[in-house]
Amino acid sequence: MSTPRQLAARRQLLRRLGLITPSMLVLAVFLVAPLAIMLLVSFLQPGDYGGVKWGQYSAEAYINFLYERDLDDSLVFNTDYLGIFQRSLGLAVMTTLGCLLIGFPTALYLALQSEKKRNLLLFLVTVPFWTNLLVRVYAWILLLRNGGLIDSGLGLIGLGDGALGILYSDAAVMIGLLYTFLPFMVLPIYTSLEKLDWRLVEAAFDLGANRFQALKRIILPLALPGMLAGTTLVFIPALGNYIIPELLGGGKALMIGNLVQLQFGSAHNWPLGSALAFALFSLVLLALLFNGLRQRRSTEVRI
Amino acid sequence: MSSAISIESLSMEYGTPGSGHKALDDVSLEIRDNEFFTLLGPSGCGKTTLLRLIAGFEQPSAGIIRLYGEPMQDLPPFRRPVNTVFQSYALFPHMTVAQNIGFGLEMQGKPKAEIAATVERMLALVKLPHVAERRADQLSGGQQQRIALARALASRPKVLLLDESLSALDMKLRKDMQIELKRLQAETGITFIFVTHDQEEALTMSDRIAVMSQGRILQVGSPTEIYEAPVNRTVADFIGETNFLAADAFASGVRLADGQLLSVVSPTPGPVTLAIRPERISLQDSGDLQGEVEEVVYIGTDTLYLLKVAGQSGFRVRQQNRLGAAQPLKRGDAVRIDVPSAAIRVLAE
Repeated sequence: MSTPRQLAARRQLLRRLGLITPSMLVLAVFLVAPLAIMLLVSFLQPGDYGGVKWGQYSAEAYINFLYERDLDDSLVFNTDYLGIFQRSLGLAVMTTLGCLLIGFPTALYLALQSEKKRNLLLFLVTVPFWTNLLVRVYAWILLLRNGGLIDSGLGLIGLGDGALGILYSDAAVMIGLLYTFLPFMVLPIYTSLEKLDWRLVEAAFDLGANRFQALKRIILPLALPGMLAGTTLVFIPALGNYIIPELLGGGKALMIGNLVQLQFGSAHNWPLGSALAFALFSLVLLALLFNGLRQRRSTEVRI
Repeated sequence: MSSAISIESLSMEYGTPGSGHKALDDVSLEIRDNEFFTLLGPSGCGKTTLLRLIAGFEQPSAGIIRLYGEPMQDLPPFRRPVNTVFQSYALFPHMTVAQNIGFGLEMQGKPKAEIAATVERMLALVKLPHVAERRADQLSGGQQQRIALARALASRPKVLLLDESLSALDMKLRKDMQIELKRLQAETGITFIFVTHDQEEALTMSDRIAVMSQGRILQVGSPTEIYEAPVNRTVADFIGETNFLAADAFASGVRLADGQLLSVVSPTPGPVTLAIRPERISLQDSGDLQGEVEEVVYIGTDTLYLLKVAGQSGFRVRQQNRLGAAQPLKRGDAVRIDVPSAAIRVLAE
């Protein structure tokens, strides 16, 4: 016979399970299952016209990622895919740094405004979300192309010669990524700056810190959680971005996302696409792990 | 004694000039070197504004602030040899206690060894030698208050500003800190300017007090002067308990509303207000004033009698509860009140 205490504990356990189950089911169906399918696909042989040959297992996709099979079937180290990974990583890091550099002053400016003005400005930051990303990227094409608005504008003041040469380059992809992800950096930094007790800054001034010292010693450290959140929100989607390099890179400046799309599309190599996606996934996991460890460390000191 | 701070016709106006809200209205003030000076007044009287102007967080609309002779009003806060203990303490949450205390010295570019030595000395001064490596938010309110004090004192300012610094503490701790503050001021020899709305706190701690109301300074003086000789009804009302009686003054005395006479010399003839402290008068059969008991409140050390005098209710008489001095009075009893002429302050209002 169970004691009343044991019964109560069991009832509570059941209640908890009942509450957790729906979200667990959603995760299982929409996250774990697709990942498992992808993992399976990455270890299969590619079908002749897309799809896979079920039941024919091979690690070929992962070998393909690093090596090329020569005519005599020997493996030769090939850095083509790694190069694209490196470019993606570089562009994502640059985008994140750029967003930090532009986003922090913007967020600081926002946080220092009066409440009324602040709400208007915050609304303006979110205005781009009201238009489809595709439309906005096409607008950038109009701006950046040779003879486009920027080019002809520069021509008017005698600086351009009608051959700006930015569109379909890494620079254009960079501009597009920066533009797309800037709000995701501004908003979290703004949130942490808005919570900041400005009397602390006053106290720093009072103790002889000039504006730069107050920024470095008080405002930046206290805005760090927002900057870390913003970094995660920008870096991860920028790393796997597909649409910006597709449209502004013109298929020349490929990123991982385009490569994956290519394998599932015209290259008819689903296993390689899946393997590439898993490589991207592990990069993202590494970034998250790094961020998580940093945050743990900063909270550890706090306690 | 030289003056530490000299303020000349300082005004602070918010909103449009000429029609905005005047937080400070033509204030002039001298604060002496090594003085414990208190700005006392109800909330919204301008005392915190005055403090913020001295610290440099805000710019005055008009007027001059001199610190040991040097004009300060155009210097940014980090160039002023003045430190503040904030009402909220404003300790840096991401730094340890030692880093907090050393912050001012670090900003001055002092060598590490000197900073460490000063931090240690400051922690000993505020009697918290073991908390150096803790975070500010791990400390209790009273400890945070002491650290805020240590941080402000560490860089040896010429003047220390304290903005309602004790108001967040509970009663017992506040009393301890009052004594502590006096001790620190004596030990460091720094001029303290203390802002409070608590008149008892002001009286116990200050060398001199400025009573403020609606952006103006009403009276400056020692606690005794302020308490014994308030210049007007607002000051008398704000500091301690006071009975006010309307009266009509003539050559040899004053006449109350119901015709009772009191012998006191009035500076001016005509309608005056008598300010009488409840603890300076007593109930005696030989007393000069007639009253009627409305309420008897026993407070332990003394008993408070609320009387009706000259048609006015709520007239207070405070009597110490000495051994065998109990007077079993009840509502409606007629009593006589002894009012020595020295206990009456005649205000021409």
